[in-house]
Amino acid sequence: MIFTFQFPKLEQKPYTETELVTALKSRDNHAYKHLYLHYRGALYNNILQLLPDREIAADVLQEVFLQIWKNIDKYDETKGRLFTWMLKLTRNMAINQTRVKNFKVHSKNEDISNYVSVIEERNSQQTGINHIGLRQQVHKLRPEYKDVIELSYFQGFKQEEIAEALKLPLGTVKTRLRNAIIELRKELK
Amino acid sequence: MDIKEYISSGIIELYVMGLCSPEEEKELEALRPQYKELHEAILQYEKDMEEKMLQYATLPDAETDKQILQQLASLNTPVIQMRPVQSTGRKFNWMRSVAAAAVILLGISAYLNYTLYNKTKKQAALISNSTSSPLPAADYTVITNPAITPVALYGVGSHTICRCTMFWDKSTGKAYIMIHHLPRSSSSKDYQLWAEVDGKTVSVGIINDAIRGRFIEVTNVPNQSIAFKVTLEQAGGATQPTLAETYLEGNI
Repeated sequence: MIFTFQFPKLEQKPYTETELVTALKSRDNHAYKHLYLHYRGALYNNILQLLPDREIAADVLQEVFLQIWKNIDKYDETKGRLFTWMLKLTRNMAINQTRVKNFKVHSKNEDISNYVSVIEERNSQQTGINHIGLRQQVHKLRPEYKDVIELSYFQGFKQEEIAEALKLPLGTVKTRLRNAIIELRKELK
Repeated sequence: MDIKEYISSGIIELYVMGLCSPEEEKELEALRPQYKELHEAILQYEKDMEEKMLQYATLPDAETDKQILQQLASLNTPVIQMRPVQSTGRKFNWMRSVAAAAVILLGISAYLNYTLYNKTKKQAALISNSTSSPLPAADYTVITNPAITPVALYGVGSHTICRCTMFWDKSTGKAYIMIHHLPRSSSSKDYQLWAEVDGKTVSVGIINDAIRGRFIEVTNVPNQSIAFKVTLEQAGGATQPTLAETYLEGNI
């Protein structure tokens, strides 16, 4: 019996999370390669949900990995998993990029009310995007839940800002956020 | 506190997603070491989320993969592609202080060209003599210096394809720029580097974009800079950046 199967060249054994983090902190080349190849798809998908232009999203992805390289020493294992940290970083950078973009288009000071008014517009356009992910799940939520998640997760606004923009008491925003995310978790299971 | 109720309140999910208010975050982080079940519930949600998001992956195209992997490798490995030193005599000129005096500049430039020509020839001779270190000493120092701050400069507007990386040594105020992609400037134009310091944009100097595949040195980078941009200006540089001609931007 002839085996035609060849072992792929293994760059390195699979890492445990702790091993990976240690290697990343020592700026190990293999570790960064592994990190990129393992997580790029998940992070890119998240960026695409905020920035549907693939080229812009790819630029943000590159910047994300550069920032991971630069800031890995700030990552604190006791506060959460590596992916959670990377996802927060990715989301912040993508949100910053959408703001830069919007700022350029309108070239005037934007405040949250502008974003609120574009939510509806954007919701109707969103159906054309076929990147499956969190945003699609969010759009299945009922409107009052959808809006708070949209503004906080996808637009990066603080709870106080959302309360002000939607003219709701802060407590209501908090409740809606919590209920919305519980709904989402059920959806994602 | 009813910890079960707290766990199922949605606070864990908000915390992991980074959507808590600072107070809520503080409260959770204070409770976490006290309640094992809270700690475990957080870990579990993080794992679930990661697993789910790995399923929802969209891969970037092969070109992006190549570019990013190359960049990461170049950050980590103290080896760069070297080209032989060109003995054309054109080397980066530090012209900030003489930018205004264009006429005097002409004379100085001729003189500098002559001396730099000789200097470059000497350097080239030095490098060809040393077999042990294939990299010019200056380049080697830049990339092995642990104090260096790398700053990625990205293309702006219609120039999204442009890329440069700047290696900034805050202790000496020097920065070394590597051009990855930037169209060659015409003879009547120069790329000029600007720094954002204390809310103001100040000129750092002109980038000699004729140098490719090697570091371009700029000096006197303001220590408090928080961002950089590169604009295309009239030859010799401008006192204010022409923002419509911004090619690259990068933050610290």
